[in-house]
Amino acid sequence: MAGGGGSSSQCLSYAGCNFLRQRLVLATLSGRPLKIRKIRAREEDPGLRDFEASFIRLIDKVTNGSRIEINQTGTTLYYQPGLLYGGSLEHDCSPSRSIGYYLESLLCLAPFMKHPLKIVLRGVTNDQVDPSVDNLKATALPLLKKFGIDGEGLEIKINRRGMPPKGGGEILFACPVRKVLQPIQFTDPGKIKRIRGTAYSVRVSPQMANRMVESARGILNKFLPDIYIYTDHMKGVSSGKSPGFGMCLIAETINGTILSAELASNPQGQGAAVLPEELGQNCAKLLLEEIYRGGCVDSTNQSLVLLLMTLGQQDVSKVLLGPLSPYTIEFLRHLRSFFQIMFKIETKSPEEEHKELIPE
Amino acid sequence: MEEKEKEKKKKHRAKHSGPKAEKKRKRYLNDLGIGEEEDARKRNPKAFTVQSAVRMARTFHRTQDLKTKKHHIPVVDRTPLEPPPVVVVVVGPPKVGKSTLIKCLIKNFTRQKLVEIRGPVTIVSGKKRRLTIIECGCDINTMIDLAKVADLVLMLIDASFGFEMETFEFLNICQVHGFPKIMGVLTHLDTFKNNKQLKKTKKKLKHRFWTEVYPGAKLFYLSGMVHGEYQKQEIHNLGRFISVMKFRPLTWQTSHPYVLVDRMEDLTNPEDVRINPKCDRKVSVYGYLRGAHLKNKSQIHMPGVGDFTVSDVSFLPDPCALPEQQKKRSLSEKEKLIYAPLSGVGGIVYDKDAVYIDLGGSHAHENEEEGVRPNHELVQSLISTHSAIDVKMASSKVSLFMDSRPLGSEDVGQEFVMPKEERQIDLKTGRVRRKALFDEEEKKENDDAVSDEEDDQEEEEAMSEDGSDGDDEEDAEEESDEGEEMALGSAKRLKTEVAKEESMSELPAFADSEDDLEMSSEEEGKTAPEENEVEEDDYDEQGTYRNESSDSEFEAVSKGVADSEKYEIASEDREMRSQLSARSLKKKTVLTTDSGNCTAEEASESEVESLDEGDDEEQSHDELEAEVSNQKQFQHTWIKKADSSRQNKLEAVEAEDDDIENLLREEEEYEEKTDFSADTAGALKWKEDLTQKAAQAFLRQQQSTPNLRKLVYGTAVEDDEHESEDAGDELGGLFQVRRPDKESKEKANALDCSKFLIEKPQDWDLEEVMSSIKDCFVTGKWEDDKDAAKLLEEDEELYGDFEDLETGVVHKGKPAAEGDESENEEEGNDGKKSKPEAEEEEKKKERLDKKRKLKEMFDAEYDEGDATYFDDLKEEMHKQAQLNRAEFEDQDDETRVQYEGFRPGMYVRIEIENVPCEFVLNFDPHYPIILGGLGNSEGNVGYVQLRLKKHRWYKKILKTRDPLILSLGWRRFQTIPMFYIEDHNGRHRLLKYTPQHMHCGATFWGPITPQGTGFLAVQSVSGTTPDFRIAATGVVLDLDKSITVVKKLKLTGFPFKIYKNTSFIKGMFNSQLEVAKFEGAAIRTVSGIRGQIKKALRAPAGAFRATFEDKLLMSDIVFVRTWYPVSIPKFYNPVTSLLKPAGEKDTWRGMKTTGQLRHERGIKLKQNKDSLYKPIVREKRHFNKLHIPKALQKALPFKNKPKNLEKKGKTPKDQWRPAVIREPHEKKISALLNALSTVNNYKIKKARVKHRQQVKEYLKVKQKEEEQKLKRQKEAKKKIYRILGQREKKMQKSSLKGSSEGEKDV
Repeated sequence: MAGGGGSSSQCLSYAGCNFLRQRLVLATLSGRPLKIRKIRAREEDPGLRDFEASFIRLIDKVTNGSRIEINQTGTTLYYQPGLLYGGSLEHDCSPSRSIGYYLESLLCLAPFMKHPLKIVLRGVTNDQVDPSVDNLKATALPLLKKFGIDGEGLEIKINRRGMPPKGGGEILFACPVRKVLQPIQFTDPGKIKRIRGTAYSVRVSPQMANRMVESARGILNKFLPDIYIYTDHMKGVSSGKSPGFGMCLIAETINGTILSAELASNPQGQGAAVLPEELGQNCAKLLLEEIYRGGCVDSTNQSLVLLLMTLGQQDVSKVLLGPLSPYTIEFLRHLRSFFQIMFKIETKSPEEEHKELIPE
Repeated sequence: MEEKEKEKKKKHRAKHSGPKAEKKRKRYLNDLGIGEEEDARKRNPKAFTVQSAVRMARTFHRTQDLKTKKHHIPVVDRTPLEPPPVVVVVVGPPKVGKSTLIKCLIKNFTRQKLVEIRGPVTIVSGKKRRLTIIECGCDINTMIDLAKVADLVLMLIDASFGFEMETFEFLNICQVHGFPKIMGVLTHLDTFKNNKQLKKTKKKLKHRFWTEVYPGAKLFYLSGMVHGEYQKQEIHNLGRFISVMKFRPLTWQTSHPYVLVDRMEDLTNPEDVRINPKCDRKVSVYGYLRGAHLKNKSQIHMPGVGDFTVSDVSFLPDPCALPEQQKKRSLSEKEKLIYAPLSGVGGIVYDKDAVYIDLGGSHAHENEEEGVRPNHELVQSLISTHSAIDVKMASSKVSLFMDSRPLGSEDVGQEFVMPKEERQIDLKTGRVRRKALFDEEEKKENDDAVSDEEDDQEEEEAMSEDGSDGDDEEDAEEESDEGEEMALGSAKRLKTEVAKEESMSELPAFADSEDDLEMSSEEEGKTAPEENEVEEDDYDEQGTYRNESSDSEFEAVSKGVADSEKYEIASEDREMRSQLSARSLKKKTVLTTDSGNCTAEEASESEVESLDEGDDEEQSHDELEAEVSNQKQFQHTWIKKADSSRQNKLEAVEAEDDDIENLLREEEEYEEKTDFSADTAGALKWKEDLTQKAAQAFLRQQQSTPNLRKLVYGTAVEDDEHESEDAGDELGGLFQVRRPDKESKEKANALDCSKFLIEKPQDWDLEEVMSSIKDCFVTGKWEDDKDAAKLLEEDEELYGDFEDLETGVVHKGKPAAEGDESENEEEGNDGKKSKPEAEEEEKKKERLDKKRKLKEMFDAEYDEGDATYFDDLKEEMHKQAQLNRAEFEDQDDETRVQYEGFRPGMYVRIEIENVPCEFVLNFDPHYPIILGGLGNSEGNVGYVQLRLKKHRWYKKILKTRDPLILSLGWRRFQTIPMFYIEDHNGRHRLLKYTPQHMHCGATFWGPITPQGTGFLAVQSVSGTTPDFRIAATGVVLDLDKSITVVKKLKLTGFPFKIYKNTSFIKGMFNSQLEVAKFEGAAIRTVSGIRGQIKKALRAPAGAFRATFEDKLLMSDIVFVRTWYPVSIPKFYNPVTSLLKPAGEKDTWRGMKTTGQLRHERGIKLKQNKDSLYKPIVREKRHFNKLHIPKALQKALPFKNKPKNLEKKGKTPKDQWRPAVIREPHEKKISALLNALSTVNNYKIKKARVKHRQQVKEYLKVKQKEEEQKLKRQKEAKKKIYRILGQREKKMQKSSLKGSSEGEKDV
């Protein structure tokens, strides 16, 4: 009895490396220990990858008193969460995944820290796999503001842009602490009033950005006249170590819904070279696709909004989402096992795929 | 007659208020001529003008201040519509009249007399209020527990004695854990003979009470007893007060679910208890849920027992329900319910699946009259059986003939044959069936009887109330082979086999009991023939049974799977096991399941980790099994199974990528399945029909709305572990062939990315595709209610009807309603409602609408201007509260509890497993049992920082590292706190003892509790002491995992070489590295010379160079002050007072302090010799001579120059003076002179003495003279002054005269 081991709450156990981030994040927020087994146990290269290790290190940095045990092959991970501490930190992200991979989880954790988080992340800012920093800056921050997480402290700043494979980017993420979140009723997306975006290029011709903008506008102008796409060409130190270009488009509605789409060029030395015109067009089409899906929150941020609804007060929150992404579906399941929160899911109208989610 | 007279006598009473009185007053005033201006402002405008702007500003300021003072931060109102009963705790020292008061209150409310009160008593006290009254003893554990759940405290005080420590202790406990409403009740007032004394005492007690609670707190006086009860009227008043009292929400209570248990039952399998009387128990507790919503499987704490996880929650019909809404003023006798199961009140008890009739305990039947009711007798006889039926059977004997030897059961044994099993192979499905075969078919009836008996036994064991129709069901099962694995009674033997069948055929896709229910309700209306319904009913019953005891099947299934190959060999064996497992009702925690595209997730205990893969698989099958057992509809189950068997086969071949695909495939499979069902020719006709219909319905559902809930929370299970067994081809008996397994890789080990990639992007160049989203933009078409033009039109309609006040012209809007009405009428015709009714309704609605609109307009005009931030906030909260209520209002409780958990006010039954057996064995209803829900991380244990203050009434101070019992959150536990104080630089310095009248910090290892939670500490919970028991109180500050408490550590060293201000110090450190760590640190000598560590030396290890502000001495001791982090002992010991035997529950003793141990064992503390006090002996100090340098001496003035007074050494010989040798004659002279001088000296001495004497006498005389002289002078002066005074008087008189004369003259 005396000093009886760590905690009495049940340990959750999972298999496989998929959804590692959300598991760790939810474990940290709920304070429940976690065990993940069979991480790539069957593969030639078993165990945790460098980006996952880096992520675990990051979690360790922002918390105080967490216990992390990894077996020798790296196929089993035990995590006993500590206290979310925050403070001023720095972290070098692994260049195999972009900063977005790390930032997405930090966005979930930051409002619940003990001290306001101010972290400098270094690595790849934009890539083709994860949501880019530009995208998160444009979509996730307004979402946080909807829950009452705002103020001067909230910002994402791109100091340097880094493209894969070498990276070299740097961002600053700062978030204030809010213990009490407002419930939201976010069921009316409203009409899209403007489209904004950024076309960036590093270590290539500055004309690339303009070419992308031209082609994207060509498609989007058929729908809306109010389009402005910023061009962002970074030079010298702030341009990272690898060349590349890409684009991120944001559609904003009259009710403050923000939908986004993005594309980036193939990393140097991998795949064929992409024409900027083509990329611009594809990106615009992706945005249209996102608009077609609908919802008040774009597909990358579905899980974030669900988490914030869960962690808010004991009130009903409602949100309208587009089709649930597999990531979100898994997230919902995890929310149930970590927080015993089940969402009431209603379909808004049968022909369109809309979901309404209500926790309490 | 008298009454009539009375009526006559009754005077007329003029109305003083109301419209009539108002009218009269107006008329009266009118008559007086002042009626018009009844308003004082108008009548006397001057009195109300602004006289001083400053004053006006001040009054305004003041009113605003007062207004804002009243504001509280608005919170969302979360009180449920039907609130749980109010917890009324009756506290007081012993013999103060607590039980009497409770009895009187109960009698007051329910007109029932309770003889003995045990545990909480719930009564209906009014139309909208119920009370749970509970008595609180003087045990500090009870006091602490009940203070946490109390809404209202009735604090009984013996007025003849005054306040007792218990009262103050309880008040302090309340203060710490959130102050519930407290009402004092003074008893024993009849002991006062003197009225004045009584008054005085009342006043004194009242004021003391007010200082403790708040000024003006209600204090009740119960003046005396009548026949052992309090006076009826007083109790009535008290009851009235209680039933109208309002309560403030307390933070802890509103944020945590809790249950005050009013019933407890032991659900452990009696067999387990028989085998091991000390085995962990499974109990179910009952009570009203209060506070917040309770989720299933959440963590709870039972104060006095420990932490548990809720294994199951269900809500039951309210045993003490509020009366239905009626427009009556008072309750009828029928509605005055009372519920106190622990006291044995409330004869009928509802359980989840049973109704119990209380027969008054085990001995009640003994003294009851016989033959009261015929059925009663039967029950009684059942109760009085003490041996099981098989035992009885064994012992019973039958004599066939008068004198023959009675036959025992052992004699019959040879003839009665157990059924043998016979394997049959079903040609159609190709599965092995085991038919129960008896030697003689003729004995069928006999067999039936036996199986009936077995049934009975089972019922006793499993507490299921399935009727004796088990046989019928069994038959039905054998016919409809697949779904009926849950054989009751004698079908047990079949179970293992069927279960095996199950394991082969069951893999439900998207099976969910909820949706099945929906389906069933749909179908029942349409299709189900009557016979089916009967069948269904049976199944429903069975379903409930399954829930209860499905574990046996689980195990059977799991085993069946695990060794399906060895099945034949082990079949006998397994049968045994399955029977065993049926008895042990130990339910495995149903694992959280996971569907669709990924992993198998387990709610794992530590056991799970140790299980090997085979076990994993077993578990996963358990899950499936659980799913299936939930299905209540037979035909649906059947479909599922058929389908899933297919799926199972397909699984090895096909891989599912996506949930959506999964869904699609589902549909395909249904089609396939219908074929399949057609194949099974053996099935009955009606069944086939049903399956088709079910499939159709399902398909319809699927097409209309892809059920997202099923998609997300459903349980299509893909376990990637499954393949590990399948791929077990062995190569050479050593290596296993591993096929690269794409499927699992994609799911469990796929790329972790939140992006939702599009598989088939649409071609956005096409016009029709583009037009599909055209309306999403502001440039597109708007909905009717948002379109600007439309809105404008609507505005016209709404507000078109207005009157121009200036001109008096009335503008009318278009009569738009008419058209509506006509439409409505048409609708009315279509509908079933009769026309006038519908019309009326419509009109009513319209009226209401109009009213609402008008009100909105009014509000907009008058309210909005005044709306402050506060009002807005309040409005927002109100809206949220309404939304919260409305969201789940229309759903039935079953679905509702899934989303929001069990809401407060529900009567719940909570099952808890692994409860220590002492809880059940030593159960004492007098001690309250509380289940407190824990928040997210509150089940964890870690370091907690507190702000703590020793209670000013506690006599001792607290010592660091002494165990202390804290009450924090729901818990009471013993831990070892370390006290510290924060220095000015933020350092937490360890304290050995708590400071006397100051707060200090404390850190301990214990349960994580949210910041800001109050706590109290006691040193011991056992026994009673005359002193105040609460040792300290405080609040949780922090939950930091890193400990920051440090204690001072001084490292000492000694100089071994001293230069001017530099010294070399040794003995402080051991190596150069250590020194390097401390470079630049401040050091000091004991004598106070400060310095700094500079650099390590090479020569003696650990020596260093240091500089000081002055030169050291070799005798100096140098030290450096360092801070050493203290480790907090990891000691957390929950107070398990409820596990103590009855009567000893207040004797819990945890870890003892070292002081107590030493005292008990008589061990004397060995003190350090150096710290003993010794007499201080101070040696006389010798100072060295003052040495003045020569140069200085020279400079000094002569006066200050040291004189060379020191004796000269021997004078040298040359300086010696020659000795004088006298002549005899000279000697004589000198002797004479000597003698003469002696005489002379004597004379002089004598003369001097004499002279002195004379002078003394002279002085005496002189003094006398002086005195006399003074006397004379005084007298003379007196005389003179008198004369002078008289003269002056005269002068004055004369002058007065003169003046008067003068006046006269004038």
